[in-house]
Amino acid sequence: MPGFVHIVDDDASFRTALERRLRLAGYCVATYASALELLDRLPDNEAPGCILLDVRIPGMSGPELQRRLNELGSTLPIVFLTGHADTATTVQAIKAGAEDFLTKPIASEQLIEAINRGIARHDVARSQRTRLDALRTLLAKLTPRERQVFDLIVRGRINKQIAFELGTTERTVKAHRHQVMEKMQVQSLAELVSIAERLGTREADDKEQG
Amino acid sequence: MGKAIRLSGLIILLVALLPPVGLRAQEMRPHSMLVLDQSDRRGPFYYQIFAALRAEVGAHAHAPTTVYSESLDLTRFGGEAYEDSLRQFLETKYRDRPIGVVVAVGTAALELVLRWRPSLWPQAPVVFALVEETEFARLRPPSFVTGGIVATKFADAVKAARAVVPNLTTIALVAEDWKRQLVFHNWKEEVEAGATDVRVIEIIGLPMEEVLERVSTLPENSAIVYSGLYSGRTGSYQPPAETLRLVAAKANRPIIVASETFIEPGGIGGFVLVPTTIGTDVARRALRILDGEIPERLPPSVIDAVKPVFNWHQMQHWNVSEASLPAGSRIELREPTVLEKYRWRAVMLAAALLVQAVLIAFLLHERHLRRKAEIEARNRLSQLAHINRQATAGELSSSIAHELNQPLGSILTNAETAELILGGVKPDLAEVREIISDIKRDDLRASEVIRRMRSLLKRAPFETKEIDLNLTMREAFDFLALQASARNVAFYLQTSPQALRVKGDPVQLQQVILNLIVNSMDAMAKMPYGRTIIGRTEVDGDASAVISISDSGPGIPQDKLNDIFDPFFTTKEQGMGIGLSIARTIVLAHSGQIWAENQSGGGAVFHLSLPLAA
Repeated sequence: MPGFVHIVDDDASFRTALERRLRLAGYCVATYASALELLDRLPDNEAPGCILLDVRIPGMSGPELQRRLNELGSTLPIVFLTGHADTATTVQAIKAGAEDFLTKPIASEQLIEAINRGIARHDVARSQRTRLDALRTLLAKLTPRERQVFDLIVRGRINKQIAFELGTTERTVKAHRHQVMEKMQVQSLAELVSIAERLGTREADDKEQG
Repeated sequence: MGKAIRLSGLIILLVALLPPVGLRAQEMRPHSMLVLDQSDRRGPFYYQIFAALRAEVGAHAHAPTTVYSESLDLTRFGGEAYEDSLRQFLETKYRDRPIGVVVAVGTAALELVLRWRPSLWPQAPVVFALVEETEFARLRPPSFVTGGIVATKFADAVKAARAVVPNLTTIALVAEDWKRQLVFHNWKEEVEAGATDVRVIEIIGLPMEEVLERVSTLPENSAIVYSGLYSGRTGSYQPPAETLRLVAAKANRPIIVASETFIEPGGIGGFVLVPTTIGTDVARRALRILDGEIPERLPPSVIDAVKPVFNWHQMQHWNVSEASLPAGSRIELREPTVLEKYRWRAVMLAAALLVQAVLIAFLLHERHLRRKAEIEARNRLSQLAHINRQATAGELSSSIAHELNQPLGSILTNAETAELILGGVKPDLAEVREIISDIKRDDLRASEVIRRMRSLLKRAPFETKEIDLNLTMREAFDFLALQASARNVAFYLQTSPQALRVKGDPVQLQQVILNLIVNSMDAMAKMPYGRTIIGRTEVDGDASAVISISDSGPGIPQDKLNDIFDPFFTTKEQGMGIGLSIARTIVLAHSGQIWAENQSGGGAVFHLSLPLAA
């Protein structure tokens, strides 16, 4: 499952060694001597990939870079590599969402395993994100009136209640409801509720109301 | 007839009532003595006899005694006419002088006195001196004669010669013609009898030139026995003591003598006649007779006038030790030894030396203690420094692990890669070669890290060698480079263009620099950015090297500038306060100085100066 691997390490020799090994394993490899270098050429978040990050690098440290990437909305998994693992740094990195925390010297199978795991997770997350994005697009196509109807349907209101709330007739609501089902490409009310659930619209509305 | 008997009875009575004749004679005896020498009193021997006699008489204070004296000079003059003229001279001279006792010094004088007495001093008792045993036996003097008999034996001279010359085989007897010898005449028979088992060369009655010639060519294991020569070089008369000087100057062997007066002019010694003893003895006898004792009560006796006496100078010259001399020997002319001569000075000197020696010993002891203390202090310093280095190493352990794992990681990965490449169908050997060269480089890197670590942890005794401070400085900066990057500290190092040769312990001096840098890094820990450390080395004048470490931290509070090098002084939360104090101790042990100040632009600067190696 080759992908794109970004190596951030100030040690040129280690960088070269890893690059060599990973290229041999079929990965695309980009190397960076410092955190700033990586920030200058931000890797593509969408391409399947992984960042290998040394904890101790001059200038911005590994964990600092991790924080910065999170802020920038990067979802690329980060595998930390360090010459000396102290507990505090490890816990901090894992809490901040590091994929793995490995100590040098590291056997390449183990490293590749970690990289693959990261890429796979990134892949799943990415595809999930793609499907949600599609649902959001569908939702966006609803007219404001249809959106109101949608919100009320997923909360389990019956047509009569909806008509009363929106100050319209039950017939009109029925028509809107049909439109919504059509536009959202669902056959049943249950499916519609599930979409609302995944997109998180229900909670938001609840809060508004609550 | 009856009347005649009565008369004769009266006479007998009177005679019986009269004091004994002797007693009457005593009462009538004048307190005067006539001393007749057989020789010339200008020679020391007879002079000393007479002087002793004179002294004894002088001491006899209760009865002042007149002493007349004549030298008969019989060694040089003789013959009936001479003797007769002497008798007439004495008769004329002392006609009106009553003589209480006649003293004859020497056998020859005694013979003449005995011959002249009936006509010259019919009443006077005779006291003699210096008459040899055999002569006395020959003369058998009558009862009014008394005196001290002396025993001078040639055998004694041989005995003395043996003491002086251990393997004695030959004796050269240097003497006047027997006829002219008045004192040691008796040796003639002894020598002729061959009583001793040594060969005797007789150098007797020869002209002086020949004597000198012969005494200078005597064989080994021989000794000279000198009894007296009266003729000088030109045949003129000379006292025998003076003649002995000539002989001694030429003699190639030690000279045994038989008279005390021969010791000083060059005789090594022997059983000698002591003239004072003779003089004293004869004076005592004469005075007792003048005091009324009759000579018959004072029979002639052998007196103890012969003593073993030796000449210290000659003993040194002939290398004769005191131990080999006959028992009871007296040593004359002994030169005091240097110690005896300068006794007080020697005592003072010895005392001074002793005091000095004690002082020196004390000082040496002090020095030893000080050296021991110094070594101890140095060992303590080494121990403390070692502990400090261990602490530093502990602080640096994560850096070091990182530094070590970096190359190890590269090596592992590279090795695996190479393995994979070689396992492929068509291995890219060029890349494998490249990988291997990378592995080699990383391996060296790892071992360098270990070497540095070891040098820091090495528990080395204090050692001094010549080192370049620039190198030490650079090594310390390299050592902490990783730590610095982890702590976001920028390092700058400016070393002097020329080498800074100092004498010192490289490990400890490096530690000083490490401590200063770590201290500066710690001081800047709370700063958000802009952490900088600048190291500098330079030559100050010609004599010292100066290192400075400046930082961009908050600086040192003015009131603490003097305290920061004190042990256990710290401003850090977790500091022990020993880093700087150890730095100072090490610098002081290297005869250097260390001080701190604040820079005008902010931050502290530490300086240390060390004397340059000559």
